[in-house]
Amino acid sequence: MKVNDVMIPFGDFPIVNKKTILKEALTEMGQAGLGLVCIINDKRELIGLITDGDLRRKLLEVQKPFSSFFIDDALIHAKKNPITCKPDDELKKIVNLMGEKQIWDLPVIDKNKKLFGLLHLHPAVKKLI
Amino acid sequence: MNKKIVKVGYGDVEKIKIGGQNPLVFVGGPCAIENRDHALFMAASIKKICDKLKIQWIYKSCYDKDCRSSPKSFHGVGIEKGLEILSEVRRLYKVPVVSDFSDPSWADLTGEVCDLVQVPAYLCRQTSILRAAARTNRPILLKKGQFMSPWNMKNSCRKLESFGNKKIILTERGTFMGYNMLVNDMTSFPIMASTGYPVCYDATHSIQLPTSMGNISGGQREFIPYLVRSAVANGINLLFMEVHDNPAKALSDSNTVLDLKYLENILYQAKKLHQLRIEILNKLGDDNVHPTNS
Repeated sequence: MKVNDVMIPFGDFPIVNKKTILKEALTEMGQAGLGLVCIINDKRELIGLITDGDLRRKLLEVQKPFSSFFIDDALIHAKKNPITCKPDDELKKIVNLMGEKQIWDLPVIDKNKKLFGLLHLHPAVKKLI
Repeated sequence: MNKKIVKVGYGDVEKIKIGGQNPLVFVGGPCAIENRDHALFMAASIKKICDKLKIQWIYKSCYDKDCRSSPKSFHGVGIEKGLEILSEVRRLYKVPVVSDFSDPSWADLTGEVCDLVQVPAYLCRQTSILRAAARTNRPILLKKGQFMSPWNMKNSCRKLESFGNKKIILTERGTFMGYNMLVNDMTSFPIMASTGYPVCYDATHSIQLPTSMGNISGGQREFIPYLVRSAVANGINLLFMEVHDNPAKALSDSNTVLDLKYLENILYQAKKLHQLRIEILNKLGDDNVHPTNS
């Protein structure tokens, strides 16, 4: 079983661009019901990732007014080099890795370094059981 | 922080680079163009001081003051006459000029003559004004509205960018604290500079007490030097001050304009402090006390 068999395809999970402000990124996250948003550049390369947990930590750290926080570029608050996987990676190996790192979602990057999909833990585990 | 450099000046006027570690630039002149002779006199007087101090400068004066408190107040000489006078100032003194404009239909003509076009503070988020300003293809002096947070100025920048103009200078000119009162929030400079664009401090409007005198604005000019020193040390690229040889007789903003006789004093202080700030920056690098990525 490969990652490709169970991942959410590009376009079906929250993706924003490098100029998207945090408020719009949060809206995007909420609409998809996933706890993360991927940020890509013009070449569709992943340049950042924000998760619910990142935001929780930021709220405590930043301490500035919400109106100021919301208008920051989402990229400012993103994890710049998140762990990723490839479409042809063995699903079991990647699920083990996610367990080890306590990660719920893993971006999938293709051989051209473009964002290709998203591996969400629940359907991945369900597929393996 | 601000890394973008905005170039001001076309044709045969002095070309000026604003932003980064370029020297501090001065923007000044009478609030309103009163008449040709006065405009030329003021330009000659300011030029003499700036030449002596070796400060690059831009002549500022407006042809139409559309935000006066009273219908009886001087409104201006009008767009045609005003731009003719500004053209003469450019031609005679080889200095770039700036005027604001308060109606989108005035933008093209303003941009044809002026090296820099100013968006008034009260109109800083009006889409039609920003679209018109961008269309001139001139650099834009964008005032921060007294009602705006510094971080929300990013929305106005994004509008200008979406209309194809990325030559923006953001200007602080005081923030309303309740009614008829302005305060200066010095954190606005690093916040606005985080857009990447150069930042300007408008020292004479910042000491304004808006419409505090019934049907005109008052002001506390005695604070100008204090606020100029604070802003320059903070990290501005451009210093804006309206100047008049006889403030009591000025036809616009008579309670806030700087008396010409003090201009050399203030600009001397501003230049020295700016040089010191750049020296410190080069020694210690970008501000790194409690750095934040937010």
